[in-house]
Amino acid sequence: MNAGAGLLDLALRDGAAAIAVVGTGKNAGKTVTTRALLEALRGRCVGLTSIGRDGEAVDIGDASPKPRLRLEPGTIVATARAVLPVSPASEILDTSDLMTAAGPLLYARVRTPAPYELLGAPTASGVRASLDRMRALGAEVTLLDGAVDRVAALAGGDEAIVVATGAATAATVEEAVDDVRALVVRLRLPAVDEREPAVRLDGALTATMVAAFAARGETRQIVVGDPTRIALAGRAFDGAMRRLKLRCERPLRVVAVTVASIGTDRYFEPAGFARAVAAATGLPTFDVYAGARAA
Amino acid sequence: MNLDLLLDETTAGALDAAWLLRATAPCGEYGRRAAELGGAPDARAIAADAATFDAATLDALQDALRRAPDVAPALARAGVGDALDDAAFLELLRFCDAWLRARATLARHDRELGTEAAAAACISLVSLLAHGRAGTYGFYLDERFDPVLGAARARAQRAQAEFDAARGRSTQGVARALGRDEIGEHEFILMRGDAPSPLPEGLRVIREAPTYLLCECELDERALAALARRDDADAALAQVEREVREALSARVRERAAGLDDAAAAFGALDAHVAKVRFAQTYACVAAEEAAAGISFEEARYLPLLDQLAREGRAYAPISLDLPGVAILTGPNMGGKSIALRTCGFLALCVALGLPVPAKRARIERFERISWLGIAPESESGGLLSSFAREVVRLRAILERPHERTIVLVDEFARTTTPQEGRALLIALVDRLRERDATALIATHLAGIAQASGATHYAIRGLRGVPARPAGGDLPAALAALADAMDYTLSEVTADSPPQADALALARLLGLDDTLVTAAYAALG
Repeated sequence: MNAGAGLLDLALRDGAAAIAVVGTGKNAGKTVTTRALLEALRGRCVGLTSIGRDGEAVDIGDASPKPRLRLEPGTIVATARAVLPVSPASEILDTSDLMTAAGPLLYARVRTPAPYELLGAPTASGVRASLDRMRALGAEVTLLDGAVDRVAALAGGDEAIVVATGAATAATVEEAVDDVRALVVRLRLPAVDEREPAVRLDGALTATMVAAFAARGETRQIVVGDPTRIALAGRAFDGAMRRLKLRCERPLRVVAVTVASIGTDRYFEPAGFARAVAAATGLPTFDVYAGARAA
Repeated sequence: MNLDLLLDETTAGALDAAWLLRATAPCGEYGRRAAELGGAPDARAIAADAATFDAATLDALQDALRRAPDVAPALARAGVGDALDDAAFLELLRFCDAWLRARATLARHDRELGTEAAAAACISLVSLLAHGRAGTYGFYLDERFDPVLGAARARAQRAQAEFDAARGRSTQGVARALGRDEIGEHEFILMRGDAPSPLPEGLRVIREAPTYLLCECELDERALAALARRDDADAALAQVEREVREALSARVRERAAGLDDAAAAFGALDAHVAKVRFAQTYACVAAEEAAAGISFEEARYLPLLDQLAREGRAYAPISLDLPGVAILTGPNMGGKSIALRTCGFLALCVALGLPVPAKRARIERFERISWLGIAPESESGGLLSSFAREVVRLRAILERPHERTIVLVDEFARTTTPQEGRALLIALVDRLRERDATALIATHLAGIAQASGATHYAIRGLRGVPARPAGGDLPAALAALADAMDYTLSEVTADSPPQADALALARLLGLDDTLVTAAYAALG
């Protein structure tokens, strides 16, 4: 089974209708992962959007070349009106009041294969609205390519999350593995146990709050709305998890990790990198460049 | 009507003008724009339509208004010769669909929408863009718009297929050499251990790592030629699509004046329907225009009615005839402030060209509505005392030029000595009369009406003192109070003593019984 089919099988196993691909950093291989999923979904009506910008020819930040998203006929996209290809013409399904960084969002169906740039709604509510709208317009499965801090829209739902990591995101294999492990642990924060006492937070959990809870020996569950409300990363997050019983109202469902062993400036040994990621996260890990499940 | 000229912030807050604006707000972009531009609504037409249109008709009209996208940007772009994009064609199509649907709904009631030119523009645009309808709602630049488009698409499709085939042939050798079924158009990893030596011809290494190579397939000359032909075909298709859009945009431009008329008519309809909905929901009537003053039967102050309805409580409408300046007395919680607000709210409706929430009404079209006394603003701090703030406010009211004014005074001068407060109120009645103002002055001070010769209204007050609820249950006490209170306003003779229900009220609301008994004793 190739990487895309394997990912899809895992994601859809429990009835998910949406799959989000989030990265541990820039150029983590999100677009290549999305492409692998699209390949596996060939023949089905797929809805596709992004949190932020994806599929552009060159990185807006550093002008480096980026993998393109060449979409097949029938695919539904939610993207900024301003970046929809003028030619070949797409079928315009709906306009909307949702705003992206480049103006209003619209929904279109691909009629002729072409490279598309995705520039989706930047807010969690906008993402949720655009996923729902694409489903209403006929998408059987929706894919979301985007930033980890915006996947709050998927919290509490049955959508699956695939985490992408790669050589471009860290200086060493160890660092990359540690980053993805911490992110996965954070995103897989357990749901609150309603039978146990809890302190519920309206907003984000910060380092200052962690210190205050720890100082008073808090033993109750500390509950955030969803895992993205934890404003801690790396060691600070590990420390908070050790000292406090962190829980969330609306958990996320992380199903797999993908690795991209090629970065602009460095390369990781692919098999070893994938094995290390799988061991650290406890999740099935796929090498989307090699095109197979790696560990 | 400019609301700022009609009332200031304090008065707007006291009357809850924001509630009225929300309740009469259009549902779509066109109506909001029309509302910003102003225009004088016709209360009689609104009330007549509220009686004529059923709720289903209003629902249908508002549904059409909500669904109509804003086509002003598209018309502006077409007007300056820009080629519109496909999303703009979809918006125009949907606008015309919604407009024609609303027009058909109105036609069932023998009513028209917009001008003939507007209708003609919408009908012909729907016909023009009909080939683009895709699915239930969509738009696609279909080949039926121009046969050249179909030919260009077919060429591009053929060129793509030829390129795919040529690339397949080109990469076949590499795929065979690497033991793979096929190689796609993207880069791929080749582990050094699996790499044949030498590397097959046509394989290009993009990056090298110690254990693997990142590769892609180079295209041979035939594939490169096919690629060039595909790019040419794509460019030709883009050119044809641009020309078709330009042609359609030019046709839109020809209809722009009619479509502008249609948009304006939609704005007027949206603003009108919102007011009709308001009038129908709250059983409003068109007030007759009075030369001076305000009089009404069974009027309701709607923000309170709405609040009580949410709490499942009933509302007691009031009636009043106020030809000039009158004094209003009554017990605490008897509805004096609401009586003032009802006057102001009805005056505001009339000034805005709206029907009023009453059974019948005759109301002067006031140019200014002013509130003086207890209001949210007077509760805030600052350097001035409550009394000083009221005086400053009164000065501002009296410094305004003589206008057709209604002044609503809620316990002005309640925070100074009763003697001086009384004197001020008597003088204020005189001054308001000199200015031919309409005014209702609520007060607990006795003898003002008699001393000034003003009409005196009183709220009837408690019909017997209700029993004090067990356990000091405040909501139960308030419910009992509402049941026992007669909110009717009746004109009283000057020598009628003001009804004093304050002590009974204090007992009902749970104040210490000994204290209340002592107060009764002190009252004698």
